[in-house]
Amino acid sequence: MQSFAVETKGLTKKFGSFTALSNLNLRIEKGTVHGLLGPNGAGKTTAIKILCSLLKPSSGEGYILGKKVPDRSILPEIGYMPQETALYLDLTIHGNMMLYGDLFGLPRSRIAAREEELLDFVALQKWRDSLVSNLSGGMKHRVSLVCSMIHEPKLLFLDEPTVGVDPELRAAFWEYFDLLKKKGVTIVLTTHYMDEAQHCDRIALLRQGQLLAEGTPMDIVKSASTINLEEAFLVLAKREDGRS
Amino acid sequence: MNIHRAFAITKRIFRGLRHDRRTVALMFLAPIVAMCVFGLAFSGDVEDVKVVVVNQDTEFTMPEINLPVSFSQAIIGNLDAEVLKVEYLGEVEEGVNRVKNGDAYAVIIFPDHFTESVYAARNPSYSGGPDLGDNTIQVREDRSNFNVANAITKCVSEAVLATAQQAGQDLPMKVDAEDAIYGKGAKFADFFVPGVMAFAVFLLTTLLTLISFVGERTSGNLERLQSTPLRESELVVGYAIAFSIIGMMQTVVLLVIGLAAFHIMIEGNIVLAFAVIALLAIVSLSLGILLSSLAKREAQAIQFFPLIILPTFLLAGIFWPVEAIPQWLRPLSYAIPPSYAVDAIRSVMLRGWGIDEIWVDIVALCGFAGAFLVAAILSLKRGRR
Repeated sequence: MQSFAVETKGLTKKFGSFTALSNLNLRIEKGTVHGLLGPNGAGKTTAIKILCSLLKPSSGEGYILGKKVPDRSILPEIGYMPQETALYLDLTIHGNMMLYGDLFGLPRSRIAAREEELLDFVALQKWRDSLVSNLSGGMKHRVSLVCSMIHEPKLLFLDEPTVGVDPELRAAFWEYFDLLKKKGVTIVLTTHYMDEAQHCDRIALLRQGQLLAEGTPMDIVKSASTINLEEAFLVLAKREDGRS
Repeated sequence: MNIHRAFAITKRIFRGLRHDRRTVALMFLAPIVAMCVFGLAFSGDVEDVKVVVVNQDTEFTMPEINLPVSFSQAIIGNLDAEVLKVEYLGEVEEGVNRVKNGDAYAVIIFPDHFTESVYAARNPSYSGGPDLGDNTIQVREDRSNFNVANAITKCVSEAVLATAQQAGQDLPMKVDAEDAIYGKGAKFADFFVPGVMAFAVFLLTTLLTLISFVGERTSGNLERLQSTPLRESELVVGYAIAFSIIGMMQTVVLLVIGLAAFHIMIEGNIVLAFAVIALLAIVSLSLGILLSSLAKREAQAIQFFPLIILPTFLLAGIFWPVEAIPQWLRPLSYAIPPSYAVDAIRSVMLRGWGIDEIWVDIVALCGFAGAFLVAAILSLKRGRR
């Protein structure tokens, strides 16, 4: 049996009478970039939070690296970048990275090495000792990303990593995701930019808590007989509405 | 429970404070200002009260010594000059008008032939002159200010008593309150400084954790923390360590200033007072975390402030004793954690009590701390439902 990085079986989450996520079945292979794609309220964030053990599923099961969530023992293996900035503004970049390094129990020397490596990558080395409150929005975004990676997670969950990020930085992010992928890291990200989703190995189209389609971007475009993902989404949504 | 992760949180708080001078200033300047304002303005004694004296008395020649004497002059001379600022007028009407206009708080009237009538009252054999007067000193006060009026009445009574003593007319009874069992020579400052210490630590810790946890929740930091191996209990303990240290630092500052400016007395083991403050800080921060779960934004959190400040200020026995609170309200006093801290610190500092005497307060505070800590941790875990 092949072990997937992420596997969900009928994953469902209800908040009261509202169903945020309904019967999600997904398999995400190790070392791939998987996009959860869909408009606001599609259930993307809910799915990620369940997989990060931040929420309990109402029914169904979610597995991370073969372990059923929620499970504290997989937390050291995953990195989570929330939708919000989620940084301490009254700390320096270094202070924020130290905090997460400490929480993952990394030794000082390891934190220092990782910090240098990661800040080099996002080109923030010379801002290391600046307060986060003094950084621009894009810089904060980069810091947020590297904070979720200080402990070299095998799996990265990125919630809207590219919202409010300028095109240049967005391109850089995607280059970096490719780099991580080559190292065997699995990346699960959410986005509502359809064009961006082309970069993913596979995508899951979500709408109103329902999975519309899953596959490579090319497969999905073909199955909807359209020319791009945006139109594919609209066609598939209409088809789904017609069915129900 | 991994104490290293708890320490990571503690370190984070102190690192943040290093860059947040405004909060640090609030933490340390606010209690100092509060203490000085209350200590100086609210020293507990009424001073410089304007009163009018209308003395219609005439001197009287006592038959025994054959010299003219005036008891009214003697009494006026014995009025406490620090409390009363006396103005002399000739007519009762004038004096009453001064009070009516708000220019004075009382008019003290010595009636005609006052001295002679006092003499007559002491010597029944004295038949008296043709117009023997009244031996009553009339004090007509503006009682709209209760404290001031009471101070005036007390001053006049004391002056009368002192004059009687000087005239050799000692009462056959005496009261001696000099040899106090606790708090010998205590001033008002000795009473309120322990109160201000507990008040400041309770209030600032609760409000700062409340605001800071609403921030943790809204910024997404709490979620990021919860996606790491950090446990909710470790997060709360990390906060508890930080705020206990901050509470004790605040106490040191207040004690130093209390000693320098108000010469407060410290009879007991001050270490015990620090332990009580640390406990109170833990109670307060748990309360702050609990309340933070009820607020979605900082602005909502601010609405809790009066809810925390007022009952504490009024009911915790900081500026007036719990005994001064109506009986039916006292159970509320005992439901407020700072009440126990104020009582314990005061007992240590003024009575010199030790753990054997204040254990009830300590147990109560530990109870509050335990219950609130558990509730705070559960409120954080609830987010994971």
